[in-house]
Amino acid sequence: MANKKLTLALYSGSVDKLTAAGVILGGAAAEDMDVEIFVLLQAAFAFKKENAMTNDRVAELTDKKDEFLAALKRLNTPHWTEAFKTAKEMTNVKIHICGFAGKVWNGFKLDDFIDLADDICGIGEYIASAETADVNLFI
Amino acid sequence: MLDVESLQTVKADKVIDARGTSCPGPLLAAKKAIGEISDGQTMEVLSADEGTRRDIPKWCEKKGYQYLGTLEESGYFRIFLKK
Repeated sequence: MANKKLTLALYSGSVDKLTAAGVILGGAAAEDMDVEIFVLLQAAFAFKKENAMTNDRVAELTDKKDEFLAALKRLNTPHWTEAFKTAKEMTNVKIHICGFAGKVWNGFKLDDFIDLADDICGIGEYIASAETADVNLFI
Repeated sequence: MLDVESLQTVKADKVIDARGTSCPGPLLAAKKAIGEISDGQTMEVLSADEGTRRDIPKWCEKKGYQYLGTLEESGYFRIFLKK
């Protein structure tokens, strides 16, 4: 039986939502789902090499940011890049950087982004992937 | 599923201690370890995560493994399954 497919439109560049995405990817990996991630606008900022490990912005409950980040440490929650990497090691995960999003943040070639990224693509690929996905998420 | 008394006598072929991780850590640890045991062998996953207690039975059902049951200890769970 073919693996089920998760397509993720990843828009957010904030660590709270990226961490949530990492948890969901872990669940998908446990079930051997095929995963396609499309890195859109603000997420492309977080995927830039110079930003991935230093960006600590949060999108929600911003007044609780310190408490949130401390809790992640206390609970041994891996950094989102680590969670994504683990998922890539355990199942078939492809990470596509939206070409337009890349340009917004001065990322013009694949090498401008962290090694997790597989290629730079157009939005047509996202639509094609979403059309055939069993689960389609926007984060 | 085994009853509590039977579960307490299970000597698992592999024991995974994932009490230091939160969801989905224990589930991923179980997935990694399942490849290291043979069909018919048993595995015990130690987890302090309530979500994992619910996830592993569902995961077993989807993957075709036999969920044997869970023992609740002080502050953690012992989750048993058979490959």
